[in-house]
Amino acid sequence: MFDPKTKVLVVDDMLTMRKIVTKILRELGFTDISEAQDGNEAWEKVKLGNVGLIISDWNMPNCTGLELLKKVRADQDYSKIPFLLVTAEAEQGQVSEAIRSGVDQYVVKPFSKEGLKAKLELTHKKTSARKLA
Amino acid sequence: MAADMSTSFTIEKFEGYLVIKLDSKIEQVSVKEFETQMGSISSNGFVIVNCDSLQIIPRDWLRVLLKLHLNLKKENKFLKLIHINSSLMNFLKKEGVDATFRISKDLRDALIETGLSPKRTLDTDFINPFLNATINTLKIQAQISAEAGQVYVKKPKELIQGDISGVIGIVSDSFNGSVVITFPEKVFLKIISNMLGEEYSKIDNEIVDGAGELTNMIFGQAKVVLNEKGYGIKTAIPSVVCGKDHSLSGLTKGPVVIVPFTTEFGQFFVEICLSN
Repeated sequence: MFDPKTKVLVVDDMLTMRKIVTKILRELGFTDISEAQDGNEAWEKVKLGNVGLIISDWNMPNCTGLELLKKVRADQDYSKIPFLLVTAEAEQGQVSEAIRSGVDQYVVKPFSKEGLKAKLELTHKKTSARKLA
Repeated sequence: MAADMSTSFTIEKFEGYLVIKLDSKIEQVSVKEFETQMGSISSNGFVIVNCDSLQIIPRDWLRVLLKLHLNLKKENKFLKLIHINSSLMNFLKKEGVDATFRISKDLRDALIETGLSPKRTLDTDFINPFLNATINTLKIQAQISAEAGQVYVKKPKELIQGDISGVIGIVSDSFNGSVVITFPEKVFLKIISNMLGEEYSKIDNEIVDGAGELTNMIFGQAKVVLNEKGYGIKTAIPSVVCGKDHSLSGLTKGPVVIVPFTTEFGQFFVEICLSN
């Protein structure tokens, strides 16, 4: 699992959803959590440095989660940041596009604490291997 | 649901048909795997090939599709291409196969033409995904059991009153509609308190968008189920209406059905409207 000191960026246009994800992260032991309301604000926070994990909603106005993912993956300074997309609409075409764009895992809403934890573990497993490679 | 990054096609199986989605990076992958998979699906029913974003179909891939088309024809079934842009159409004409394949605009049209399309009516096929999604969302996200009551058609002047509503538009190529979820304050506060793990005693800016998020989750789950049946519903962003004893009407023209839900904290209502 991720080090609890990992800086996590939670991105969602809905305050309620940011609070739900943040609450679960705190229950899982994470202490360094920041939030952004859309992909643009998130990108600014990524550029400040030290973000170790991004959990982003997909469907947001201004800059979607997928657009944020593409920006992150295209910049060699940040391209290895573990990225987890949250979506309410897991249609295969969308999921395939996210995978092609370099997402590490996706979580389908609604989700429980156990559901998010399992996805975080999978994300960590995948991205640890990427760092070793 | 997951797709392998190395593949340049995906296959989704549905009742009576399957959809093959060809990827725009098609030319980077060996055709052998595609040929193997296509060889094993000829007896499964109609085949719909989604060509969205393709400018051409490489000749060896085209040859596999032609072979599949001929196999299906022997069984009185057929293959349809959908989402053909002008570049791809020109390519198919140049290759002399534009009249060989049946072509439809999108999945919904393809299903209508094959006789597999669902009716565009507010029947159980359309309503049940929303009903199941509502129960599922409250159970998983708020640990609250909700029971659906008798579904009924809204009377012309009937108003559903509540204190907060989540509203989302249903938009597809061939019909529109809306979903409205209306909560009394007491029920909404209990749901949100459970979702966020802290008690809220009034609806304020901190939690008001929770109605939109609940609507989004319910709509998203129902959309996946309905789109597997060919409805072609597009992504939408919800909005929230808040006000003591408000009621919403006339969002879309068409019949409206109401599903009352009962929880141990009170009732709330889901209104579904569909217009062609």
